[in-house]
Amino acid sequence: MPRLLVVDDERDIRHLYAAELEDEGYQVETAGTGAEAAQLLQEREFDLVVLDIQMKGESGLQTLQKIVQEKDRLPVILCTAFSCYKEDFSSWLADAYVVKSSDMTELKSEVRRLLDRGKE
Amino acid sequence: MSGIYVESGCCWQKEHISPGECPYIQEGEQELLFSQKKRFLRRCLDCPRFIEDLVSMGDREGGGLAKLLLPLVIEELLDLRVKVQTLDRQLESRNREIKFLHEVSLVLQTSVDMDEVIAMALTAVTSGKGFGLNRAFLLLVDKERQNLRGYFAVGPRRREEAAVIWQEIEEHDFTLRELAQNFFENKMPSEREKFRDLLEILSVPLSRGDHLFVRTLNEQQSMHVQDLFREPDLDPAQVEALGVRELILVPLISKNRRIGLLLADNFINARPIATADLHSLKTFALPVSFAIERASLYERLQEELLKLTEANRRLKQQQELIVRMEKMALVGRITSNIAHSIRNPLTIIGGFARTLIKNTPPDDGKRQYIESIVRETRRLEDILQEVLNYSESLHPTLDLWDINNLLTAVYAGLREDLELARVECLLRLDPGLPQVKVDYKKMSYCIRSILTNSLEAMPKGGRIEIRTERQGEYIHVALADNGPGMSPETIKEITTPFFSTKERGSGLGLSLCARILQGHGAEIDIRSAEGVGTTFTISLNIPAAN
Repeated sequence: MPRLLVVDDERDIRHLYAAELEDEGYQVETAGTGAEAAQLLQEREFDLVVLDIQMKGESGLQTLQKIVQEKDRLPVILCTAFSCYKEDFSSWLADAYVVKSSDMTELKSEVRRLLDRGKE
Repeated sequence: MSGIYVESGCCWQKEHISPGECPYIQEGEQELLFSQKKRFLRRCLDCPRFIEDLVSMGDREGGGLAKLLLPLVIEELLDLRVKVQTLDRQLESRNREIKFLHEVSLVLQTSVDMDEVIAMALTAVTSGKGFGLNRAFLLLVDKERQNLRGYFAVGPRRREEAAVIWQEIEEHDFTLRELAQNFFENKMPSEREKFRDLLEILSVPLSRGDHLFVRTLNEQQSMHVQDLFREPDLDPAQVEALGVRELILVPLISKNRRIGLLLADNFINARPIATADLHSLKTFALPVSFAIERASLYERLQEELLKLTEANRRLKQQQELIVRMEKMALVGRITSNIAHSIRNPLTIIGGFARTLIKNTPPDDGKRQYIESIVRETRRLEDILQEVLNYSESLHPTLDLWDINNLLTAVYAGLREDLELARVECLLRLDPGLPQVKVDYKKMSYCIRSILTNSLEAMPKGGRIEIRTERQGEYIHVALADNGPGMSPETIKEITTPFFSTKERGSGLGLSLCARILQGHGAEIDIRSAEGVGTTFTISLNIPAAN
């Protein structure tokens, strides 16, 4: 079972994403800050990261850079309320960019796509 | 001398005489008939009979001395009279010259208009009230191009024209000033055309120091050429074009600066040019040079002033733009903060509602309530997206893109929808278009909106054409459909923002497009005829350095 890491500073978003993604059959762990996420990534192996950009402390983009540097095969989906980051070059480091929505269809399909790709 | 009687009885003895008594008095000189003194001074001295009488008088009355002196005195008197008459004539001529120069100077000194000055100068040279030469040419020094350029010419081009002009002048009897003014106001443009070819032939680069014109200018000495056909330092083409033998050249110098060259000739009547004319022209050249220089400086000043004013205006515009953009940036930041604050809660509310629905059986009464929550949340998210798009459109991120590629991509994205709606879509894209600066995402959104609008207007199918072409500094993107078309009121409606309370989409649609395009500095034109179709034309500026 693939293991996912959801990083977001909003507790309810973490709960929602965890619930929905677990329903899809994944194992989900969550982190509230970039530092926490880095810690978890050190301790365990993950198959995919869902990362929010606007977080307190270290921003999602900084976390993203660290992840890419240390684990470049780990797919990262940037998930955010802002649509403008699509034009930000640093967001291109991510494998996918999803705008937060109550409809999680797009997020779920991106997760599926990237995990399938990883398997090949 | 009264009271002396001599036998001969010549008329000089009488105070009054009758007409015919003196052979030297003409009609109209009545006063001489009544005054002996005046007759003595003016006529008697020329009369041989009078001289005879005087001499014989001298003989008789012990007038040995008188006999000696009188002829001398008479000779001297005659001499003086001639001198006085000559001086009188010279004075008169000098007076006329001064008056003429004064009249010319008045115009030259007060005018700052180059053409007015030149009109005055050349009219003065060619009119009978001035120097009375047939033709005058003005060549000006062009510092930038380093040549002596034929600028203007005055005079008749052909004999027939001359006759007409001179008659006209006689009929109206203008003063020099009036002539010049009339010329400046009415004739200048046509006169310029008349001599255009000739003036071009007469133009000479300043580097040709051996050319007669350039030499005259450099030596700052007027020239009077008696036979042009023998003049070696002129181009044969120029001699032929001038078609005269005699020519005077007067350099126009102002404080050692070379301003130009004045040429004058008697092309029509071939009257020989007097040295006095040349001399007068030289004097006349001084105020002319000065006036021309001043007029051209004035022109330059005007130009610089205009440039400065323009630059100032543009600076102000840019300053205003910067202030506006700063304000917008602020608004953008505020809006994005609001968006973030709203989006997360919406995601949570709607997300959990969907989760609940998954676990609620269809027959459960509560399901429809939860469905409402999901639906309304969705609506709020859409509105939020549109509002964000709207505020983001104030601040487009511009990059150089190939507009044909963009259009092809949008078309590809809509292919399915087009097929479903049975709308045929043709692409007529001009290959080799230069790139334009657009915000890719927002421009795609615009095109998509317009095409969707057309699609929705043709529920029973139809045709859409996407066309690109370049026209000068613009690229025109035309999106034409053959749908039902729109009335002018409808056009106004769809480009005015409003929030519709119907299904998806907030109804900002095309007004947002207009906004976006405005942010690009592009223009949109909507042409529509009911029953025929609608064409949206977007005009994009081609960036300068491509």
